[in-house]
Amino acid sequence: MAYFVYLFMVGLVLGMAVVAVNLSPYFAAFGLVVVAGMGCGVIISFGGSFLSLVLFLIYLGGMLVVFAYSAALAAEPFPESFGTTGAVLYFMGLVGVVGVFAILYIEEGSGLGGCSSDEVMGMSSCVTEYDGMSQMYGPGGFLLVLCAWVLLLTLFVVLEMTRGSSRGPLRSVK
Amino acid sequence: MSPYILAILLFSLGLGTTITFSSTHWLLAWVGLEINTLAMLPLMAQNHHPRAVEAATKYFLIQASGAAVLLFAGVINAWLTGQWDIHQAAHPLPIAIITLALSLKLGLAPLHSWLPEVFQGLNLTTNLILATWQKLAPLALMLQIQPPHSSLLIFLGLMSTLGGGWGGLNQTQLRKILAYSSTAQLGWMILVVQFSPSLTTLAILVYVVTTSATFLTLKLNKATNINMLAISWAKAPALMALTPLVLLSLAGLPPMTGFMPKWLILQELSKQGLPATATITALTALLSLYYYLRLTYAMTLTMFPNNITSTPPWRLPSAQLTLPLAILALAAISLLPLTPAAMALVAL
Repeated sequence: MAYFVYLFMVGLVLGMAVVAVNLSPYFAAFGLVVVAGMGCGVIISFGGSFLSLVLFLIYLGGMLVVFAYSAALAAEPFPESFGTTGAVLYFMGLVGVVGVFAILYIEEGSGLGGCSSDEVMGMSSCVTEYDGMSQMYGPGGFLLVLCAWVLLLTLFVVLEMTRGSSRGPLRSVK
Repeated sequence: MSPYILAILLFSLGLGTTITFSSTHWLLAWVGLEINTLAMLPLMAQNHHPRAVEAATKYFLIQASGAAVLLFAGVINAWLTGQWDIHQAAHPLPIAIITLALSLKLGLAPLHSWLPEVFQGLNLTTNLILATWQKLAPLALMLQIQPPHSSLLIFLGLMSTLGGGWGGLNQTQLRKILAYSSTAQLGWMILVVQFSPSLTTLAILVYVVTTSATFLTLKLNKATNINMLAISWAKAPALMALTPLVLLSLAGLPPMTGFMPKWLILQELSKQGLPATATITALTALLSLYYYLRLTYAMTLTMFPNNITSTPPWRLPSAQLTLPLAILALAAISLLPLTPAAMALVAL
Protein backbone atom coordinates (compact mmCIF):
# COMPACT_ATOMS: atom_id res chain seq x y z
CA MET A 1 0.00 0.00 0.00
CA ALA A 2 2.80 2.38 0.87
CA TYR A 3 4.25 1.96 -2.63
CA PHE A 4 0.89 2.93 -4.12
CA VAL A 5 0.83 6.06 -1.98
CA TYR A 6 4.28 7.02 -3.22
CA LEU A 7 3.28 6.26 -6.81
CA PHE A 8 0.26 8.55 -6.50
CA MET A 9 2.25 11.34 -4.88
CA VAL A 10 5.07 11.21 -7.41
CA GLY A 11 2.51 11.12 -10.23
CA LEU A 12 0.81 14.18 -8.72
CA VAL A 13 4.04 16.16 -8.72
CA LEU A 14 5.05 15.02 -12.22
CA GLY A 15 1.62 15.87 -13.63
CA MET A 16 1.77 19.32 -12.07
CA ALA A 17 5.26 19.84 -13.50
CA VAL A 18 3.93 18.99 -16.98
CA VAL A 19 1.33 21.74 -16.56
CA ALA A 20 3.92 24.18 -15.28
CA VAL A 21 6.47 23.87 -18.09
CA ASN A 22 4.18 25.53 -20.67
CA LEU A 23 3.96 22.96 -23.40
CA SER A 24 1.18 23.12 -25.97
CA PRO A 25 -2.25 23.69 -24.38
CA TYR A 26 -3.56 20.16 -24.73
CA PHE A 27 -0.52 18.71 -23.00
CA ALA A 28 -1.34 21.02 -20.11
CA ALA A 29 -4.93 19.75 -20.13
CA PHE A 30 -3.60 16.19 -20.19
CA GLY A 31 -1.27 17.01 -17.28
CA LEU A 32 -4.26 18.28 -15.29
CA VAL A 33 -6.07 14.99 -15.98
CA VAL A 34 -3.05 13.11 -14.59
CA VAL A 35 -2.99 15.42 -11.55
CA ALA A 36 -6.70 14.84 -10.94
CA GLY A 37 -6.40 11.08 -11.23
CA MET A 38 -3.36 10.86 -9.01
CA GLY A 39 -4.89 13.28 -6.53
CA CYS A 40 -7.94 11.02 -6.27
CA GLY A 41 -5.55 8.15 -5.60
CA VAL A 42 -3.89 10.12 -2.82
CA ILE A 43 -7.28 10.88 -1.25
CA ILE A 44 -8.27 7.21 -1.43
CA SER A 45 -5.05 6.14 0.23
CA PHE A 46 -5.74 8.67 2.99
CA GLY A 47 -9.13 7.08 3.59
CA GLY A 48 -11.58 9.19 1.59
CA SER A 49 -13.12 6.86 -0.97
CA PHE A 50 -16.41 8.71 -1.54
CA LEU A 51 -14.73 12.11 -1.73
CA SER A 52 -12.28 10.88 -4.35
CA LEU A 53 -15.12 9.36 -6.38
CA VAL A 54 -16.95 12.70 -6.41
CA LEU A 55 -13.77 14.56 -7.30
CA PHE A 56 -12.94 12.12 -10.07
CA LEU A 57 -16.38 12.28 -11.71
CA ILE A 58 -16.98 16.04 -11.40
CA TYR A 59 -13.45 17.30 -12.00
CA LEU A 60 -12.69 14.97 -14.88
CA GLY A 61 -16.06 15.81 -16.41
CA GLY A 62 -15.00 19.45 -16.41
CA MET A 63 -11.50 18.60 -17.60
CA LEU A 64 -12.96 16.71 -20.56
CA VAL A 65 -14.62 19.92 -21.72
CA VAL A 66 -11.41 21.91 -21.18
CA PHE A 67 -9.44 19.30 -23.09
CA ALA A 68 -11.86 19.32 -26.01
CA TYR A 69 -11.91 23.12 -26.04
CA SER A 70 -8.15 23.56 -25.92
CA ALA A 71 -7.60 20.83 -28.50
CA ALA A 72 -10.12 22.51 -30.81
CA LEU A 73 -8.79 26.03 -30.20
CA ALA A 74 -5.09 25.29 -30.46
CA ALA A 75 -4.90 22.40 -32.88
CA GLU A 76 -1.29 22.79 -33.95
CA PRO A 77 0.21 20.53 -36.61
CA PHE A 78 3.56 20.55 -34.76
CA PRO A 79 2.76 20.82 -31.04
CA GLU A 80 5.52 21.86 -28.70
CA SER A 81 6.38 18.82 -26.62
CA PHE A 82 9.32 17.58 -24.58
CA GLY A 83 11.43 17.51 -27.73
CA THR A 84 12.46 21.11 -27.11
CA THR A 85 15.42 21.13 -24.75
CA GLY A 86 14.25 24.12 -22.70
CA ALA A 87 11.11 22.32 -21.63
CA VAL A 88 13.09 19.28 -20.48
CA LEU A 89 15.50 21.43 -18.44
CA TYR A 90 12.63 23.37 -16.89
CA PHE A 91 10.84 20.13 -16.06
CA MET A 92 13.94 18.63 -14.45
CA GLY A 93 14.53 21.85 -12.52
CA LEU A 94 10.98 21.93 -11.15
CA VAL A 95 10.99 18.29 -10.12
CA GLY A 96 14.46 18.73 -8.62
CA VAL A 97 13.36 21.69 -6.49
CA VAL A 98 10.31 19.78 -5.24
CA GLY A 99 12.49 16.75 -4.49
CA VAL A 100 15.04 18.80 -2.55
CA PHE A 101 12.30 20.40 -0.49
CA ALA A 102 10.73 17.00 0.15
CA ILE A 103 14.04 15.56 1.37
CA LEU A 104 14.86 18.61 3.49
CA TYR A 105 11.54 19.30 5.15
CA ILE A 106 9.56 16.09 5.38
CA GLU A 107 11.03 13.85 8.03
CA GLU A 108 9.44 10.66 9.29
CA GLY A 109 6.69 11.12 11.87
CA SER A 110 6.29 14.86 11.29
CA GLY A 111 2.70 14.39 10.20
CA LEU A 112 3.43 15.51 6.63
CA GLY A 113 4.74 12.09 5.66
CA GLY A 114 1.33 10.50 5.46
CA CYS A 115 -1.38 9.01 7.60
CA SER A 116 -4.99 8.05 6.99
CA SER A 117 -7.90 10.17 8.07
CA ASP A 118 -9.05 7.47 10.50
CA GLU A 119 -5.69 7.61 12.23
CA VAL A 120 -6.06 11.36 12.55
CA MET A 121 -9.37 11.02 14.30
CA GLY A 122 -8.07 8.36 16.68
CA MET A 123 -10.29 5.44 17.59
CA SER A 124 -13.28 6.65 15.59
CA SER A 125 -15.74 3.91 14.75
CA CYS A 126 -17.44 5.67 11.84
CA VAL A 127 -15.74 6.77 8.66
CA THR A 128 -15.13 10.49 8.94
CA GLU A 129 -16.08 11.48 5.40
CA TYR A 130 -19.65 10.18 5.74
CA ASP A 131 -19.84 11.99 9.04
CA GLY A 132 -18.72 15.20 7.34
CA MET A 133 -21.23 14.69 4.53
CA SER A 134 -24.13 14.44 6.94
CA GLN A 135 -22.82 17.55 8.68
CA MET A 136 -22.95 19.35 5.35
CA TYR A 137 -26.69 18.72 5.00
CA GLY A 138 -27.39 19.42 8.67
CA PRO A 139 -25.59 22.26 10.45
CA GLY A 140 -23.89 23.33 7.22
CA GLY A 141 -27.13 23.94 5.35
CA PHE A 142 -26.53 27.68 5.12
CA LEU A 143 -23.20 27.09 3.40
CA LEU A 144 -24.79 24.62 1.01
CA VAL A 145 -27.29 27.31 -0.04
CA LEU A 146 -24.40 29.76 -0.34
CA CYS A 147 -22.51 27.37 -2.63
CA ALA A 148 -25.62 26.96 -4.78
CA TRP A 149 -25.86 30.75 -5.02
CA VAL A 150 -22.21 30.95 -6.07
CA LEU A 151 -22.83 28.43 -8.84
CA LEU A 152 -25.79 30.51 -10.07
CA LEU A 153 -23.66 33.66 -9.87
CA THR A 154 -20.91 31.94 -11.86
CA LEU A 155 -23.44 31.11 -14.57
CA PHE A 156 -24.44 34.77 -14.84
CA VAL A 157 -20.79 35.90 -14.77
CA VAL A 158 -19.81 33.54 -17.57
CA LEU A 159 -22.83 34.56 -19.66
CA GLU A 160 -22.01 38.24 -19.17
CA MET A 161 -18.34 37.77 -19.98
CA THR A 162 -18.96 35.86 -23.19
CA ARG A 163 -21.97 37.74 -24.54
CA GLY A 164 -21.79 39.43 -27.90
CA SER A 165 -20.90 36.18 -29.72
CA SER A 166 -18.32 36.97 -32.40
CA ARG A 167 -18.11 40.64 -31.39
CA GLY A 168 -17.21 39.80 -27.80
CA PRO A 169 -13.52 40.35 -27.07
CA LEU A 170 -13.14 37.02 -25.27
CA ARG A 171 -13.87 35.21 -28.54
CA SER A 172 -11.34 37.18 -30.54
CA VAL A 173 -8.87 34.29 -30.52
CA LYS A 174 -9.24 32.57 -33.86
CA MET B 1 -26.09 45.03 -19.00
CA SER B 2 -29.57 44.06 -17.90
CA PRO B 3 -30.61 45.71 -14.62
CA TYR B 4 -31.53 42.32 -13.12
CA ILE B 5 -28.02 40.99 -13.78
CA LEU B 6 -26.56 44.22 -12.41
CA ALA B 7 -28.64 43.82 -9.26
CA ILE B 8 -27.46 40.22 -8.81
CA LEU B 9 -23.83 41.23 -9.31
CA LEU B 10 -23.98 44.18 -6.92
CA PHE B 11 -25.79 42.08 -4.32
CA SER B 12 -23.08 39.42 -4.59
CA LEU B 13 -20.38 42.06 -4.35
CA GLY B 14 -21.88 43.11 -1.03
CA LEU B 15 -22.47 39.52 0.03
CA GLY B 16 -18.82 38.52 -0.51
CA THR B 17 -17.44 41.33 1.62
CA THR B 18 -20.06 40.71 4.30
CA ILE B 19 -19.22 37.01 4.47
CA THR B 20 -15.52 37.73 4.80
CA PHE B 21 -16.21 40.35 7.47
CA SER B 22 -18.35 38.03 9.56
CA SER B 23 -16.35 34.82 9.16
CA THR B 24 -14.21 33.23 11.82
CA HIS B 25 -13.29 30.27 9.61
CA TRP B 26 -10.60 30.43 6.91
CA LEU B 27 -12.71 28.52 4.40
CA LEU B 28 -15.61 30.95 4.71
CA ALA B 29 -13.28 33.94 4.47
CA TRP B 30 -11.92 32.47 1.23
CA VAL B 31 -15.46 31.89 -0.06
CA GLY B 32 -16.26 35.56 0.55
CA LEU B 33 -13.17 36.74 -1.31
CA GLU B 34 -13.97 34.49 -4.27
CA ILE B 35 -17.57 35.73 -4.47
CA ASN B 36 -16.21 39.27 -4.46
CA THR B 37 -13.85 38.55 -7.35
CA LEU B 38 -16.49 36.71 -9.39
CA ALA B 39 -19.08 39.45 -9.02
CA MET B 40 -16.57 42.14 -9.93
CA LEU B 41 -15.49 40.63 -13.25
CA PRO B 42 -18.58 41.39 -15.43
CA LEU B 43 -18.73 44.89 -13.95
CA MET B 44 -15.16 45.44 -15.12
CA ALA B 45 -15.77 44.06 -18.61
CA GLN B 46 -19.24 45.54 -19.11
CA ASN B 47 -18.11 47.85 -21.92
CA HIS B 48 -16.59 44.92 -23.81
CA HIS B 49 -13.70 46.79 -25.33
CA PRO B 50 -10.36 44.97 -25.42
CA ARG B 51 -8.66 47.12 -22.75
CA ALA B 52 -11.46 46.48 -20.25
CA VAL B 53 -11.46 42.74 -20.95
CA GLU B 54 -7.67 42.66 -20.64
CA ALA B 55 -7.93 44.44 -17.29
CA ALA B 56 -10.65 42.02 -16.15
CA THR B 57 -8.49 39.05 -17.19
CA LYS B 58 -5.49 40.41 -15.30
CA TYR B 59 -7.64 41.09 -12.27
CA PHE B 60 -9.09 37.58 -12.40
CA LEU B 61 -5.67 35.91 -12.64
CA ILE B 62 -4.19 37.94 -9.78
CA GLN B 63 -7.18 37.59 -7.47
CA ALA B 64 -7.56 33.88 -8.25
CA SER B 65 -3.91 33.18 -7.45
CA GLY B 66 -4.12 35.29 -4.29
CA ALA B 67 -7.22 33.43 -3.16
CA ALA B 68 -5.67 30.04 -4.01
CA VAL B 69 -2.57 30.87 -1.98
CA LEU B 70 -4.80 32.02 0.89
CA LEU B 71 -6.73 28.73 0.77
CA PHE B 72 -3.46 26.81 0.66
CA ALA B 73 -2.22 28.64 3.74
CA GLY B 74 -5.53 28.00 5.51
CA VAL B 75 -5.25 24.26 4.78
CA ILE B 76 -1.62 24.22 5.95
CA ASN B 77 -2.76 26.00 9.11
CA ALA B 78 -5.50 23.42 9.68
CA TRP B 79 -3.02 20.61 9.06
CA LEU B 80 -0.41 21.96 11.47
CA THR B 81 -2.62 23.25 14.28
CA GLY B 82 -5.83 21.24 13.87
CA GLN B 83 -8.26 24.15 13.69
CA TRP B 84 -9.55 26.64 11.13
CA ASP B 85 -10.14 29.64 13.36
CA ILE B 86 -8.84 32.92 11.95
CA HIS B 87 -8.05 34.42 15.34
CA GLN B 88 -6.11 31.42 16.55
CA ALA B 89 -3.83 31.03 13.55
CA ALA B 90 -0.53 31.08 15.34
CA HIS B 91 1.95 29.07 13.28
CA PRO B 92 4.47 31.37 11.53
CA LEU B 93 4.45 29.56 8.16
CA PRO B 94 0.75 29.93 7.30
CA ILE B 95 0.73 33.45 8.75
CA ALA B 96 3.55 34.51 6.43
CA ILE B 97 1.87 32.91 3.38
CA ILE B 98 -1.46 34.53 4.27
CA THR B 99 0.19 37.93 4.66
CA LEU B 100 1.74 37.65 1.20
CA ALA B 101 -1.51 36.39 -0.37
CA LEU B 102 -3.46 39.28 1.09
CA SER B 103 -0.75 41.72 -0.04
CA LEU B 104 -1.16 40.39 -3.57
CA LYS B 105 -4.92 40.87 -3.36
CA LEU B 106 -4.59 44.36 -1.92
CA GLY B 107 -1.85 45.46 -4.32
CA LEU B 108 0.90 46.13 -1.77
CA ALA B 109 4.42 46.62 -3.11
CA PRO B 110 6.38 44.59 -4.19
CA LEU B 111 3.22 42.75 -5.35
CA HIS B 112 1.48 45.85 -6.71
CA SER B 113 2.42 46.00 -10.38
CA TRP B 114 -0.95 44.59 -11.54
CA LEU B 115 -2.86 47.45 -9.94
CA PRO B 116 -1.97 50.35 -12.31
CA GLU B 117 -2.47 48.11 -15.35
CA VAL B 118 -5.92 47.05 -14.20
CA PHE B 119 -6.92 50.60 -13.24
CA GLN B 120 -5.86 51.96 -16.60
CA GLY B 121 -8.23 49.67 -18.50
CA LEU B 122 -11.39 50.53 -16.56
CA ASN B 123 -13.74 53.46 -16.27
CA LEU B 124 -13.61 55.73 -13.23
CA THR B 125 -16.72 54.34 -11.50
CA THR B 126 -15.38 50.79 -11.59
CA ASN B 127 -12.04 52.09 -10.38
CA LEU B 128 -13.81 53.71 -7.47
CA ILE B 129 -15.32 50.36 -6.45
CA LEU B 130 -11.96 48.68 -6.94
CA ALA B 131 -10.08 51.22 -4.84
CA THR B 132 -12.54 51.28 -1.96
CA TRP B 133 -14.98 48.39 -1.59
CA GLN B 134 -12.70 45.67 -2.92
CA LYS B 135 -9.96 46.59 -0.45
CA LEU B 136 -12.18 46.13 2.59
CA ALA B 137 -12.44 42.34 2.72
CA PRO B 138 -8.68 41.53 2.44
CA LEU B 139 -7.91 44.33 4.88
CA ALA B 140 -10.42 42.92 7.38
CA LEU B 141 -8.52 39.61 7.25
CA MET B 142 -5.21 41.44 7.57
CA LEU B 143 -6.51 43.07 10.76
CA GLN B 144 -7.27 39.72 12.34
CA ILE B 145 -4.05 37.78 11.90
CA GLN B 146 -1.30 38.02 14.49
CA PRO B 147 2.12 37.85 12.84
CA PRO B 148 4.87 36.52 15.09
CA HIS B 149 7.51 38.84 13.60
CA SER B 150 6.96 42.48 12.79
CA SER B 151 9.61 42.66 10.06
CA LEU B 152 7.50 41.29 7.16
CA LEU B 153 4.68 43.79 7.65
CA ILE B 154 7.10 46.69 8.12
CA PHE B 155 8.90 45.66 4.94
CA LEU B 156 5.64 45.51 2.99
CA GLY B 157 4.53 48.86 4.40
CA LEU B 158 7.78 50.65 3.61
CA MET B 159 8.01 49.13 0.14
CA SER B 160 4.42 50.20 -0.57
CA THR B 161 4.82 53.82 0.52
CA LEU B 162 8.09 53.96 -1.40
CA GLY B 163 6.90 52.08 -4.50
CA GLY B 164 3.55 53.84 -4.56
CA GLY B 165 5.28 57.23 -4.45
CA TRP B 166 8.05 56.32 -6.85
CA GLY B 167 5.85 54.63 -9.44
CA GLY B 168 3.50 57.58 -9.76
CA LEU B 169 6.22 60.16 -10.37
CA ASN B 170 6.51 59.78 -14.12
CA GLN B 171 2.86 59.09 -14.91
CA THR B 172 0.60 61.33 -16.93
CA GLN B 173 -2.41 59.03 -16.71
CA LEU B 174 -4.65 59.91 -13.79
CA ARG B 175 -5.96 56.39 -13.24
CA LYS B 176 -2.42 55.03 -12.93
CA ILE B 177 -1.51 57.84 -10.56
CA LEU B 178 -4.51 56.98 -8.39
CA ALA B 179 -3.53 53.29 -8.47
CA TYR B 180 -0.05 54.14 -7.18
CA SER B 181 -1.65 56.45 -4.65
CA SER B 182 -3.75 53.50 -3.48
CA THR B 183 -0.62 51.39 -3.01
CA ALA B 184 1.09 54.15 -1.03
CA GLN B 185 -1.91 54.71 1.24
CA LEU B 186 -2.30 50.98 1.89
CA GLY B 187 1.38 50.93 2.84
CA TRP B 188 0.62 53.31 5.71
CA MET B 189 -2.22 51.06 6.87
CA ILE B 190 -0.12 47.90 6.76
CA LEU B 191 2.74 49.57 8.57
CA VAL B 192 0.64 50.18 11.65
CA VAL B 193 -1.68 47.15 11.52
CA GLN B 194 0.25 45.10 14.07
CA PHE B 195 0.71 47.97 16.53
CA SER B 196 -2.73 49.54 16.43
CA PRO B 197 -5.46 47.90 14.30
CA SER B 198 -7.86 50.74 15.12
CA LEU B 199 -5.51 53.18 13.36
CA THR B 200 -5.61 50.96 10.28
CA THR B 201 -9.41 51.13 10.39
CA LEU B 202 -9.25 54.89 10.71
CA ALA B 203 -6.80 55.13 7.81
CA ILE B 204 -8.98 53.03 5.47
CA LEU B 205 -12.06 55.09 6.38
CA VAL B 206 -10.28 58.36 5.63
CA TYR B 207 -8.76 56.89 2.46
CA VAL B 208 -12.19 55.78 1.23
CA VAL B 209 -13.59 59.28 1.73
CA THR B 210 -10.70 61.16 0.12
CA THR B 211 -10.18 58.82 -2.82
CA SER B 212 -13.94 58.71 -3.52
CA ALA B 213 -13.97 62.51 -3.66
CA THR B 214 -11.02 62.44 -6.08
CA PHE B 215 -12.51 59.79 -8.35
CA LEU B 216 -15.89 61.55 -8.44
CA THR B 217 -14.18 64.85 -9.32
CA LEU B 218 -12.36 63.21 -12.21
CA LYS B 219 -15.59 61.52 -13.28
CA LEU B 220 -17.45 64.83 -13.27
CA ASN B 221 -14.75 66.33 -15.48
CA LYS B 222 -14.39 63.17 -17.61
CA ALA B 223 -10.64 63.53 -17.17
CA THR B 224 -8.29 60.57 -17.50
CA ASN B 225 -4.96 62.26 -18.10
CA ILE B 226 -3.24 65.44 -16.98
CA ASN B 227 -3.90 67.33 -20.20
CA MET B 228 -7.63 66.70 -19.97
CA LEU B 229 -7.50 67.78 -16.34
CA ALA B 230 -5.69 70.97 -17.29
CA ILE B 231 -8.44 72.12 -19.63
CA SER B 232 -11.33 70.93 -17.48
CA TRP B 233 -11.43 73.94 -15.17
CA ALA B 234 -13.99 75.52 -17.45
CA LYS B 235 -16.54 72.77 -16.70
CA ALA B 236 -16.91 73.49 -12.98
CA PRO B 237 -14.85 76.45 -11.71
CA ALA B 238 -16.02 76.17 -8.08
CA LEU B 239 -15.08 72.50 -7.96
CA MET B 240 -11.69 73.35 -9.40
CA ALA B 241 -11.08 75.64 -6.44
CA LEU B 242 -11.86 72.80 -4.03
CA THR B 243 -10.07 69.95 -5.80
CA PRO B 244 -6.51 70.99 -4.84
CA LEU B 245 -7.57 70.79 -1.21
CA VAL B 246 -8.98 67.29 -1.77
CA LEU B 247 -5.79 66.18 -3.51
CA LEU B 248 -3.60 67.64 -0.77
CA SER B 249 -5.83 65.94 1.78
CA LEU B 250 -5.06 62.66 -0.02
CA ALA B 251 -1.40 63.61 0.23
CA GLY B 252 -1.83 64.16 3.98
CA LEU B 253 -1.17 67.86 4.48
CA PRO B 254 -2.11 69.29 7.91
CA PRO B 255 -5.32 71.28 7.84
CA MET B 256 -7.14 68.58 5.87
CA THR B 257 -8.71 65.25 6.91
CA GLY B 258 -5.97 63.21 5.25
CA PHE B 259 -3.49 64.43 7.83
CA MET B 260 -5.35 62.62 10.61
CA PRO B 261 -4.28 59.01 9.94
CA LYS B 262 -0.73 59.97 8.93
CA TRP B 263 -0.27 62.02 12.10
CA LEU B 264 -1.57 59.27 14.37
CA ILE B 265 0.35 56.54 12.55
CA LEU B 266 3.63 58.44 12.86
CA GLN B 267 2.89 59.03 16.53
CA GLU B 268 2.15 55.34 17.08
CA LEU B 269 5.35 54.28 15.29
CA SER B 270 7.39 56.65 17.47
CA LYS B 271 5.70 55.30 20.58
CA GLN B 272 6.61 51.75 19.52
CA GLY B 273 10.29 52.69 19.40
CA LEU B 274 10.59 52.80 15.61
CA PRO B 275 11.77 56.37 14.95
CA ALA B 276 13.79 55.36 11.87
CA THR B 277 10.78 53.64 10.27
CA ALA B 278 8.59 56.63 11.06
CA THR B 279 11.12 59.02 9.49
CA ILE B 280 11.52 56.98 6.31
CA THR B 281 7.75 56.65 5.93
CA ALA B 282 7.26 60.38 6.38
CA LEU B 283 9.92 61.02 3.74
CA THR B 284 8.36 58.59 1.26
CA ALA B 285 5.10 60.53 1.64
CA LEU B 286 6.96 63.38 -0.06
CA LEU B 287 7.25 61.26 -3.20
CA SER B 288 3.47 60.92 -3.27
CA LEU B 289 3.10 64.60 -2.49
CA TYR B 290 5.02 65.38 -5.67
CA TYR B 291 2.43 63.91 -8.01
CA TYR B 292 -0.52 65.26 -6.06
CA LEU B 293 1.10 68.68 -6.30
CA ARG B 294 1.64 68.21 -10.00
CA LEU B 295 -2.04 67.45 -10.51
CA THR B 296 -2.89 70.52 -8.44
CA TYR B 297 -0.53 72.64 -10.49
CA ALA B 298 -1.83 71.46 -13.86
CA MET B 299 -5.41 71.88 -12.80
CA THR B 300 -5.58 75.07 -10.80
CA LEU B 301 -2.36 76.97 -10.56
CA THR B 302 -1.78 77.56 -14.25
CA MET B 303 -4.05 78.71 -17.03
CA PHE B 304 -3.45 76.87 -20.26
CA PRO B 305 -3.42 78.97 -23.45
CA ASN B 306 -6.75 77.89 -24.90
CA ASN B 307 -8.97 79.96 -27.10
CA ILE B 308 -11.89 81.83 -25.60
CA THR B 309 -14.56 79.51 -26.99
CA SER B 310 -13.45 76.73 -24.66
CA THR B 311 -14.48 78.67 -21.56
CA PRO B 312 -18.31 78.71 -21.75
CA PRO B 313 -18.97 75.05 -20.74
CA TRP B 314 -19.48 76.00 -17.09
CA ARG B 315 -22.81 77.56 -18.08
CA LEU B 316 -24.13 74.14 -19.13
CA PRO B 317 -25.56 72.14 -16.21
CA SER B 318 -24.04 68.69 -15.84
CA ALA B 319 -26.39 65.71 -15.90
CA GLN B 320 -24.33 63.86 -13.31
CA LEU B 321 -25.39 63.52 -9.70
CA THR B 322 -23.20 65.91 -7.71
CA LEU B 323 -24.53 65.57 -4.16
CA PRO B 324 -22.24 62.62 -3.17
CA LEU B 325 -19.26 64.52 -4.52
CA ALA B 326 -20.19 67.63 -2.52
CA ILE B 327 -20.51 65.69 0.74
CA LEU B 328 -17.37 63.62 0.17
CA ALA B 329 -15.27 66.61 -0.84
CA LEU B 330 -16.31 68.52 2.28
CA ALA B 331 -15.58 65.47 4.43
CA ALA B 332 -12.21 65.00 2.71
CA ILE B 333 -11.22 68.58 3.43
CA SER B 334 -12.59 69.55 6.81
CA LEU B 335 -12.88 66.60 9.20
CA LEU B 336 -9.54 67.04 11.00
CA PRO B 337 -11.13 68.71 14.08
CA LEU B 338 -13.16 65.53 14.57
CA THR B 339 -10.03 63.45 15.24
CA PRO B 340 -10.97 62.56 18.87
CA ALA B 341 -14.46 61.48 17.78
CA ALA B 342 -13.02 59.43 14.91
CA MET B 343 -10.58 57.73 17.28
CA ALA B 344 -13.43 56.92 19.64
CA LEU B 345 -15.42 55.53 16.70
CA VAL B 346 -12.73 53.07 15.62
CA ALA B 347 -11.39 52.18 19.07
CA LEU B 348 -11.04 48.41 19.32
